[in-house]
Amino acid sequence: MDVLQRGLDILAQLAVTLASVMIVSLIVIFSWLVYGRYILNATPTWVEQAALLMVVWITFLGAAVGVRRRTHLSVEFIRDGLPDPLRRAALFLVSFALLFFGAMLAWQGYDMYDRTAQREIPLIGISEGWRAIPVVIGGTMICLFTLDDLLRLALGIADET
Amino acid sequence: MSLFILFGVFFFCLVIGVPVAFCLGIAAFAGFIYEGLPLFIATQRIVSGISVFSLLAIPFFIFAGELMLQGGIAVRLVRLASAAVGWMRGGLGVVNVASSMLFGGISGSAVADTSALGSILMPVMKEKGYDGDYAVNVTVTSSIAGVVIPPSHNMIIYAIAAGGLPISQLFLAGVVPGILMCLCLAFAAWLVAVKRGYPAESFPGFSSLAMSFVVALPGLLTAVIIVGGVLSGIMTVTESGAFGALYAIVITALVYRELSWEKFKTAVLVSVRITSMAMILIACASAFAYLLTLNRVPELLAGLVLSISESKFVILMMLNLTFLLLGMVMDMAALILITTPIFLPIILELGMSPVQFGIIMMMNLGLGLTTPPVGACLFVGCVVGNERMENVVKTIWPFYLAILTALMLVTYFPVVSLGLGWLLLPE
Repeated sequence: MDVLQRGLDILAQLAVTLASVMIVSLIVIFSWLVYGRYILNATPTWVEQAALLMVVWITFLGAAVGVRRRTHLSVEFIRDGLPDPLRRAALFLVSFALLFFGAMLAWQGYDMYDRTAQREIPLIGISEGWRAIPVVIGGTMICLFTLDDLLRLALGIADET
Repeated sequence: MSLFILFGVFFFCLVIGVPVAFCLGIAAFAGFIYEGLPLFIATQRIVSGISVFSLLAIPFFIFAGELMLQGGIAVRLVRLASAAVGWMRGGLGVVNVASSMLFGGISGSAVADTSALGSILMPVMKEKGYDGDYAVNVTVTSSIAGVVIPPSHNMIIYAIAAGGLPISQLFLAGVVPGILMCLCLAFAAWLVAVKRGYPAESFPGFSSLAMSFVVALPGLLTAVIIVGGVLSGIMTVTESGAFGALYAIVITALVYRELSWEKFKTAVLVSVRITSMAMILIACASAFAYLLTLNRVPELLAGLVLSISESKFVILMMLNLTFLLLGMVMDMAALILITTPIFLPIILELGMSPVQFGIIMMMNLGLGLTTPPVGACLFVGCVVGNERMENVVKTIWPFYLAILTALMLVTYFPVVSLGLGWLLLPE
């Protein structure tokens, strides 16, 4: 159990680190864009496309980690007001709902990859498939984190947040 | 029936506590499955929903705001405000409002404003004999300035949800309503302070005021760069945001010398967290909105509302009430994304400016951030101030009243929000 927890935590940490590097890169390349346009008189055209690609990565990596760290905004006061058995049932349902969403993302993200991998993203010359990969990764991570939640919920290991 | 599925799944997920963003995504997938639409369109909407250029400004705004907090800009703004207005009765209450105006004007985030100014000002206020509930009340309500005074990333979300309104116009339109709201709040803060007999600080003298202004100036310039860049047309909102963030790094690291590697890392992590939360919301809302439009919900609802009343006055009041109620139970960005496509046709039908409507929406939903049971700012304010929410809410009504007063002025007098634009951006 501990190994599983540690593994998932490391996975989350990796994802956050990658997203952090991308956010800092965004600031750097945009400043480069402004510098290029006004000082060098040569606007680097790849910046916008690269940035739009990175933002998809940041979003899906960050959103998946949010599931593990419970940082997403949700309405909890109704559930918390329920009597205990119902509350527990609601917690299970939440996990199933997240599982459904994660699975849809992973599956449909893969489908999207399949449809777009042959095309190139204009101006940066890499495959459109790169835009679909984070959807697959994010969806898979949401599934993994939620399965872990379900496991702990079923075993009755308290995680009353 | 397909609407029943869409909204039914959404509300069910919401009530059991699924994160709002995923509620939208799950409902959208369910709707696509029910209607037999190809699922890849849903994924495509989700990804293309965030592949919008001006949305890239959001991480920059959030990062800049966090740097201000970590790197000592916020403290200097508070010192400036306190030199300027601290001499009034209940001075620290008024200082709190003034600081929010300055800070919110730069960071554009109400929650950042609450935690930044709350952690600086609340301990001082309590030490000087202010009650905890008052300290939280002022801090929380004045933080709404962050979403109304430009730059504000929520305005960008609105601009996109409204089909690409010019962000420069929205930014300009937020200035006067934001200041007006702060004036109303300062008046409320002063009134309550007089009634409770809170102390006044001594005026430090004009040289000291000038000094604190000079010290705060580099920080204040962050806002000037971001807003100025957009209004002048030199930079897009995204470029201004990046430039503002870079400038904030330089100021906090080299001029104020308070930005350590640890603090920098914290700021980056916070921006990753908030950005990804906001973006996944936008992504899922975009798939959800696709189904709303497909089912002609905006037209149907517009017809329904206009059949109840054709009076602009009545409809605006209804919209205000709807926003206030929704704002009490749901998050701001989610509501902007869901309600804009639904309500905008009504507004256009009435011949009203979508820009003015945007500011009305910001104020309403901003107020929602400060109301129980799920107001993010109220929650953060209570945690930072170590006060119970029940106690805080009992005495918060003068401040709500102040904001509602400003809201009514903005709602019924277009000149309040649009006037500055008429002056500065002639068609």
